Amino acid sequence: MKLFTKYNRINIAITILTFVVGSIAFYFVLHYVLVRQLDETLRGEQQEVVDYVNAHDQLPVIQNTKHQWITVAAAPETITKPKARSILSYNKTEDEKEFIRQLAFSVTVEQQVYLITVNKSETETEDLLQLIILVTIGMIGFILLSNYFINRKLITRLWQPFYNTIDNIKDYQLAIQQPLQLTKEPINEINLLNDSLNKMTQRIHQDYHALRSFTENASHEMQTPLAVIRSKVEALLQDMEGKEKNIQQLLAIEDATQKLSKLHQSLLLLTKLENRQFIPNEMINLSAIISTKLEERQELITAKQLQVHLHCEDTVLPFHQHLAEILVSNLLNNVIRYTPAGGEVYIDLSKEGLSVQNTAANGALNENKVFQRFYKEEQSAENTGLGLAIIKEICTIAGFTISYQYINNKHDFSIQFKH
Amino acid sequence: MKLLVIEDEASLNQSIVDFLSAAGYLCESVFTYREAIQKIDYHSYDCIILDIMLPGGSGLELLRYLKQDAKTDGVIIISAKGALEDKIEGLQIGADDYLTKPFHLSELSVRIAAIIRRKKFNGQSIVSIGNIKIDTIGKTVNVQEQPVELTQKEFQLLLFLVINKNRILSKNAIAQHLWGDDMDFPANYDFIYSHIKNLRKKMMAAGAEDCIRSIYGEGYKLQVL
Repeated sequence: MKLFTKYNRINIAITILTFVVGSIAFYFVLHYVLVRQLDETLRGEQQEVVDYVNAHDQLPVIQNTKHQWITVAAAPETITKPKARSILSYNKTEDEKEFIRQLAFSVTVEQQVYLITVNKSETETEDLLQLIILVTIGMIGFILLSNYFINRKLITRLWQPFYNTIDNIKDYQLAIQQPLQLTKEPINEINLLNDSLNKMTQRIHQDYHALRSFTENASHEMQTPLAVIRSKVEALLQDMEGKEKNIQQLLAIEDATQKLSKLHQSLLLLTKLENRQFIPNEMINLSAIISTKLEERQELITAKQLQVHLHCEDTVLPFHQHLAEILVSNLLNNVIRYTPAGGEVYIDLSKEGLSVQNTAANGALNENKVFQRFYKEEQSAENTGLGLAIIKEICTIAGFTISYQYINNKHDFSIQFKH
Repeated sequence: MKLLVIEDEASLNQSIVDFLSAAGYLCESVFTYREAIQKIDYHSYDCIILDIMLPGGSGLELLRYLKQDAKTDGVIIISAKGALEDKIEGLQIGADDYLTKPFHLSELSVRIAAIIRRKKFNGQSIVSIGNIKIDTIGKTVNVQEQPVELTQKEFQLLLFLVINKNRILSKNAIAQHLWGDDMDFPANYDFIYSHIKNLRKKMMAAGAEDCIRSIYGEGYKLQVL
């Protein structure tokens, strides 16, 4: 739920409640005041009658009107405390039932007690009350409606800087070499938010850079000792002619050096991939890359007597040149390495995806683990165990999905270009 | 041929100097940025072997300094930084080549030879050994003035062996020279053997001496006296 909607709901509920309670109270207060006014009039009438009786010792001639009339009747006893009350009665002149306010009192004329009731119709009061209530309800409705629209407009405008900030954060990428730079806004709260975000990204950025340069430097620093080892091995090799066993040992050292170096390069690449240091925004001809990389490996394929069935549709898609090359290289390296000699390889590229299949040496791979780092089905010396992890990471960056299947004694790695 | 090796790791520097001296170059070595600047200011070299991370400054700065002074020394960068953008940056500033550590010294030697050939002979360059003449620009090989048909890989292989003559080259070094390092090679490197075999056959048929020796099947060596 939007903050505004939530606020509006509460606001409107409370406003309506307040207005309802207020209106009811208002009604009763108004009713009380009007009835008191009515009673005042009735008492005035009573006073006039009493004054007349006291002065003349006879009943006055009574002039009745449509809304006010007086009845006189003989009564057995006097009323000491006259009180006004409302009753429902029939009004002859109006020909309808209506509420009337009635004040009964007694006067004594020539030793005869008379009961006199002063009646006044409440219709006028009711009408007035109705009008007032109607106007009030109309006002309330108008206030609510205008409030709603003003709030909507105003709040949308007030929140605009907030949404700007959100948009900025959404587009923000750590790999871009700049911390977030949110502008100053005229509203303190938004300013506070922006400032905090600016500072936070600044810190994250510093940490990120520190980590990145650490990883890179650590990796680089290891390459130099490896270069030393390799150069010494090469030098030693020259003195070993005639000593076959020594040569083999030296070459084992050299191979280990090679492997270590590759491992570092792969880890470094994985770190960079995870840090999103590559942005797939070039149009890449994948079919061309596949042909090139396949061509480069022709000797290896021939040496293993592999049958390659290539079916390539011309496919150009947004990707990253370097990543595309690594992706294809790794896929091909895997296939060439793991297909048994004389086996078959199927490479199928279409606009929808790329599928690489090869005849398997021994059974299915564990599809849950196959993309994990350092996962190896068999312990092999040349393999770093990072190839598929790198492939998977590249696919994630490019927005592709990769899956592994085992069908008809074949490993099948399929990349889907679109979700 | 005079070379300057700028590399702060002393033992690597020593290895490079030893190897290149044995290949017939005259080598000087320095270990820091300052020493390098001094050498560059007063001498000129056929090729400078330049490390990027140096005490006292960056190798790239040194390279900019060289190019500002319009020096014609060839430069090959040897760096632990193997990322594509590092390579591009180095080459854009004006390096002739870029080699990522750890490299084979034999590879370094071939690259240096190529740079010197480009610089010295203005693209006219023949490498000859015995009765074999290799035209590195036209990519042709003559034995006793008769052309020999070689595939591209065989040509590269021959040149690699010739430049590193009298040295044992591991199959790993040969494979990396011919195919680069984004491939991974099977442990036995069998496919190299067939290339060597074909090359030998073709060269001998053309009348060249059989001077390629196999070292227990672990490496190869082009032997000339």
